[in-house]
Amino acid sequence: MKTLIVIREKDYGWMSSFFPGVHPLVVPICNKPFIEFLLDFAILAGSTAVRIVSDGSLNSVEAYCETGDRWGIELGYGSIRQNDSDETVMEKNRLFCSEDRVLVINGFIFIRYADKAGLKSFFAETSSGSLSRCSSGSIELTGIPEDVSAAPGTLPFSLTDLHSIDSYYRLNAEILTDYPSPYVLPGYSNEPDCHMGRNVVISKGAEVIKPVVIGNNVQIMKGAIVGPSAVIGSNVIVDRESTVSRSIVLDNTYIGEQLDIVGRIASGNTLVDPETAFLVSMEDPHLLAGMNKAARRQGLVLIRYLAHAAIALLLILLLILPYLFFRILLSVTAKWQTRAVTFYGANEGKSFTSALPSISCGGTTCSLFTRLSLDRFPMFFHVLAGKIGVIGSFPLEVKESGHGETEIFSGYRPAVFSYAEAEDWPADAGESAIVERYYAVHGTPAQDIVLTVKAFLNRMHPGEQE
Amino acid sequence: MMIRERNHNGVTIVMPVGRLDSSSASQFMSGSPSFSGNGKIVIDLSEVDFIDSTGLGSLVGIARKKREQGGDVRLACLNEKLRKVFEITQAFRLFDIYDDAETAAGRQG
Amino acid sequence: MSASITMNLPSDIRYVRIASNTARSVAELFSGENGGEEGKYEEFRNAFELAVTEAFSNSVRHGNSPDKGRQIFITFSPENEGLTASVADTNPAFNPEIPPPDIFSYPESGYGLLMIRQLMDEIRYSRKDGNNTLTMHKKLKNPHNQ
Repeated sequence: MKTLIVIREKDYGWMSSFFPGVHPLVVPICNKPFIEFLLDFAILAGSTAVRIVSDGSLNSVEAYCETGDRWGIELGYGSIRQNDSDETVMEKNRLFCSEDRVLVINGFIFIRYADKAGLKSFFAETSSGSLSRCSSGSIELTGIPEDVSAAPGTLPFSLTDLHSIDSYYRLNAEILTDYPSPYVLPGYSNEPDCHMGRNVVISKGAEVIKPVVIGNNVQIMKGAIVGPSAVIGSNVIVDRESTVSRSIVLDNTYIGEQLDIVGRIASGNTLVDPETAFLVSMEDPHLLAGMNKAARRQGLVLIRYLAHAAIALLLILLLILPYLFFRILLSVTAKWQTRAVTFYGANEGKSFTSALPSISCGGTTCSLFTRLSLDRFPMFFHVLAGKIGVIGSFPLEVKESGHGETEIFSGYRPAVFSYAEAEDWPADAGESAIVERYYAVHGTPAQDIVLTVKAFLNRMHPGEQE
Repeated sequence: MMIRERNHNGVTIVMPVGRLDSSSASQFMSGSPSFSGNGKIVIDLSEVDFIDSTGLGSLVGIARKKREQGGDVRLACLNEKLRKVFEITQAFRLFDIYDDAETAAGRQG
Repeated sequence: MSASITMNLPSDIRYVRIASNTARSVAELFSGENGGEEGKYEEFRNAFELAVTEAFSNSVRHGNSPDKGRQIFITFSPENEGLTASVADTNPAFNPEIPPPDIFSYPESGYGLLMIRQLMDEIRYSRKDGNNTLTMHKKLKNPHNQ
């Protein structure tokens, strides 16, 4: 059997104001993207090939699902146009639909089922036609059944409309409490009702109350309470003494100190009340609390400089010989080049330029060069000059067009190493920003020294995250 | 660039063969009389294994011309590489894209 | 492959397939050596081939001067678990930040940079000593599927 998933912009358009820039099919429900629930259902129903067609862009869906290898199916994509009738959609997909039975999932709907094992035989035996319908979608079967001998009784599944933020919120809550869940949730599940991803740090004095689902790279700080009924995405920090219950926190969100998130959806800088669909946005793209602590730390500036300069000096002394050795070695083989890169400085309008080595080769020599952080060696001198820190944010490059300035946030502190590297977080700008913001609020000079060493060591052993 | 043509129920199916890129696009655009006029045509891309922005531009140009004159162009048989180009440029919003050329041609002209 | 590959082509659209084919061969060699079983890195190869083709065509198109001797310099180098291509020319400077075309106005050109941006993970434009260089990088691995 095959499955054709038809999803139209008019059905999911409402989602864009709550999850800007994220395709509705990859918006998570509990801890996996919506599309995975549809694929699971298609596979349980006996499909070996699935095609997703839409009148909108499927780019990010394709980037996530690729060719379906991970599920052991053949996954393809197609385009339809806004005003195409269901009949035209079938015509456009004539070859895909020709030889086989095809299950057509049409609309922005969630399919509930309780009995996983029975789905395959149900679809093999059911005669063709429309099986189930709800206001924003339907399930239909085409082709000739394999075995009509058994007359199927009631449907082993039901449809739920996804037509509002409230329906999305409720669906998450139901899947979470409905244990044992028929919907396989990935992640470690050492006990019922508690699904956890990789690199989850729960500080002493923090409390996690079931049922919860927690993603990868999550830090729950001292005195924080997470749960019951909390869905926490990946790359999230719940800061000291904050509470998250009956709520969904999406990926890349920093929940500041002493906040109560109850019955809400938090995503980046927005907080939504699902019942009223009321949405509040904060100025900073990730921060859900004021940075009131930053002011108090002004007195620390000198101590901080001394700590950073000391460790930079230490690293210079440690690395100067290897650096010169590589420089001579690579110059001889004509692989040594430098590139002048200009970065935004810590203060508005300021920038600094560093001539960074840019060596173009693979192999062990070059990997060793990077592992020893020699590629950033010249930047240590900027630390001594007080222009940057030894640990802080990834420095943002000044582009000729002036683009990128928008990415600068209030706690931006360019540095040789980033906090994300110290904490082994993904290096993508959006994701590392969370951990950088956390330290922009909490960092102390002593902690910075420890974290610099961690970042340095982490760079020495890359790729051990997975 | 070679262009083959066939007829299905009175609808011209144009089939370019080869790469549709900046070195062949202008030749393709002037390659068939069916590219102007008010008839419906189908461009069968099953024999095109590569398309770039100029090739895409030529298809967009043909579609504009045909639609201005009251005709239409449908596309059929895009391989993965071609489909990706339509996806990332949003060009899929302009075209009716079919699995096979005969269904695209439909019952009447 | 551990070394860079450099080639110079005349700034003439007839050479576009040499640029494309070389880009594809380089991507095949690189992905093949990095544990790519057949088919697994097709997407990587297609994207790399197409992005280099677009960059080359752009360079030819912007160099509409009578100077027949103009050349386009292409470099391929393995870098940070991916491939980098840079395409350099001596044309007048251009603005790499032009907005993508509005598809509903049926534009026949202007898709090149949009496509490069979508296909590659990182692009950088620089103007130095009368040279435009467009540097593009694509990672071999999909971050979702490690």
